[in-house]
Amino acid sequence: MNGAQHILEAFQRHQIDTVFGYPGGCIMPLYDALVDAEGVEHVLCRHEQGCALAADGYARASGRLGVCIATSGPGATNLITGVANAHRDSIPMLVITGQVPSALIGTDAFQETDVLGMALGIVKHSYLVTEADELPAILEEAISLAQQGRPGPVWIDIPKDVLLTDIAAMACPSAAPDIAQAAQSTLTTTAPPCPDLSDALALLHNARQPLLYSGGGVGLAGAEAAFRAFADTSGLPGVVTLKGIGNHGKHSPHQLGMLGMHGSRAANLAVDACDLLLVIGARLDDRATGKLADFAPNARIIHLDADQAEFHKLRRAEVALRGDLNTMLQALTQALSNRPLAIADWQAQCRTWATTKGFPAADNEATVAPIHGPEFVRQLSRITPDDAIIACDVGQHQMWVAQHYQFDHPRHHLSSGGLGTMGFGLPAAIGAQFARPDQVVINVSGDGSFMMNAQELATIRRYRLPLKLIILDNQCLGMVRQQQELFYGNRESQIDLDDNPDFLTMARAFDIPSLHIERSDQIRRGIETILAYQGPMLLHVAIARDDNVWPIVKPGAGNREMLDEHQRNRKETPTTKTSKETAA
Amino acid sequence: MSATTEHTLTCRMQAEPAALERLCQVVRVRGFRIRQMSADSADGQLTIGLTVSGERPIGMLQSQLEKLHTVAQVSTETTLALARA
Repeated sequence: MNGAQHILEAFQRHQIDTVFGYPGGCIMPLYDALVDAEGVEHVLCRHEQGCALAADGYARASGRLGVCIATSGPGATNLITGVANAHRDSIPMLVITGQVPSALIGTDAFQETDVLGMALGIVKHSYLVTEADELPAILEEAISLAQQGRPGPVWIDIPKDVLLTDIAAMACPSAAPDIAQAAQSTLTTTAPPCPDLSDALALLHNARQPLLYSGGGVGLAGAEAAFRAFADTSGLPGVVTLKGIGNHGKHSPHQLGMLGMHGSRAANLAVDACDLLLVIGARLDDRATGKLADFAPNARIIHLDADQAEFHKLRRAEVALRGDLNTMLQALTQALSNRPLAIADWQAQCRTWATTKGFPAADNEATVAPIHGPEFVRQLSRITPDDAIIACDVGQHQMWVAQHYQFDHPRHHLSSGGLGTMGFGLPAAIGAQFARPDQVVINVSGDGSFMMNAQELATIRRYRLPLKLIILDNQCLGMVRQQQELFYGNRESQIDLDDNPDFLTMARAFDIPSLHIERSDQIRRGIETILAYQGPMLLHVAIARDDNVWPIVKPGAGNREMLDEHQRNRKETPTTKTSKETAA
Repeated sequence: MSATTEHTLTCRMQAEPAALERLCQVVRVRGFRIRQMSADSADGQLTIGLTVSGERPIGMLQSQLEKLHTVAQVSTETTLALARA
């Protein structure tokens, strides 16, 4: 068995049945072995960035390991954005690249790049396999490492000659039980012992206005049920980060929505007023906290997380507890069920804020035109099934989805949080559809983001994926335009996209039928039509060019300084210099 | 403006091909500058002595270094306040 065959054997042994890749020179031995392999479906994307982002979407939707494969040089460099995206959002991913033959490394050979050096800052760990007999142990370790603790991408760079070398039987896991058992034990090990929660409980009982602040760590730990039990038992009002959307479920009476730059007034007001913040599986990201000096100014912090390095990084916590969130939340729930919190006044205050200070809705279906993004997303949320998976790209539409779609589970919301990768949505939705073939998967995109990975329409066509594609088309880079309007004196610069392609014709080129709507009385029919269609379908939605995401906190400002539409200070005519004029 | 502080650290890690690059990159990205560095290799292990300076708490760098998969131990030896940057 050579190195390439061993990789595929390891995939089968670890029940890795779906991988996303693109062949090329130095990875060809693996593609040759793939011809005879059973039990592994290789999804051919049309760009290596698409492979990495599809693997990311697969992992987010399923909770399983995402795997992507590419060749050396440009294949590897094209993966970088997708791997960085997974790294910033703690997504379990295995990355395998071919490398030039060992003897040629360091000679500037054809398609040689220093992948190990290049990727150091965007991986949980990485390897260059220098001896063929090391490959089995490295694979076992990498598969385990990517998924344990705080997950992340692990990259293995493998010279072509290693892929072709027969691997000694001694090196294979079946003959090296210590390696295999060690790797397996990290996946199946029982939860670590629960840390002492008495200090946290004392703070909770002494607080008058305690608030729950949860992030993506809850979903990553598979701790949704434990989290909801804790939220219900404690009665703590809760805010969520972008990655924590769905933690509470769509019907929770306790949640105040997303906090931060585009958070609800209710969430930001509660954070501003609270005297204790219980942070669970979140890293106090700057988009969520705003200006740190103004963040939760009256609050003490309890921080529960899987990653020790997140404690005290941006804000000192009075109590910081590292461990398995399931274990800690269950223990806290038990303790509070014996001795409930007395916070009725605070709960009433938060309920009032939730009712009166939620996200502003232009929810007027009687309006004929133009369609407003928030209104579209609210209708989408009402019409789609509870278990629909919504991928989005990056920009205004992403924030409208975060604000106005009611998610029942964090794995239903696929959004590029840390890196903010335009072009994430389409390949991520492809990955999610492979992970969840029986669920409705919808990509909500903007016209700017959609063009960033539009080549993956060919992947949808090839695999006949029943994806639903929605483009909220405002003919510009809306989020950049919005910030230019509000914070750069309305001087529009390089945001005009009114020369977009005809998206309907484009879809037709990939055998994807489409529908165009431009009036709000067409929204319901449009959504129902694409959902009813047995196959992929595109809904092109012409939306108002000058709609903004409200509220907004100016970058660098405190979260209490939320701007609303009535504070909009537009000039009559924006100062515009388009890219076309520049080119001319 | 925060005061710059100089710290001496000792790091034990696996002597894998990218060991020193990993270490140095984390030091730089997390806001510290390397003033002095030594490395000894024995039995597949590297023992690295580092003198770094920076304005951020050294505990933040220590916890980030400890996150590296091939790092076995990081200890802070001394801390010396320098003149304000």
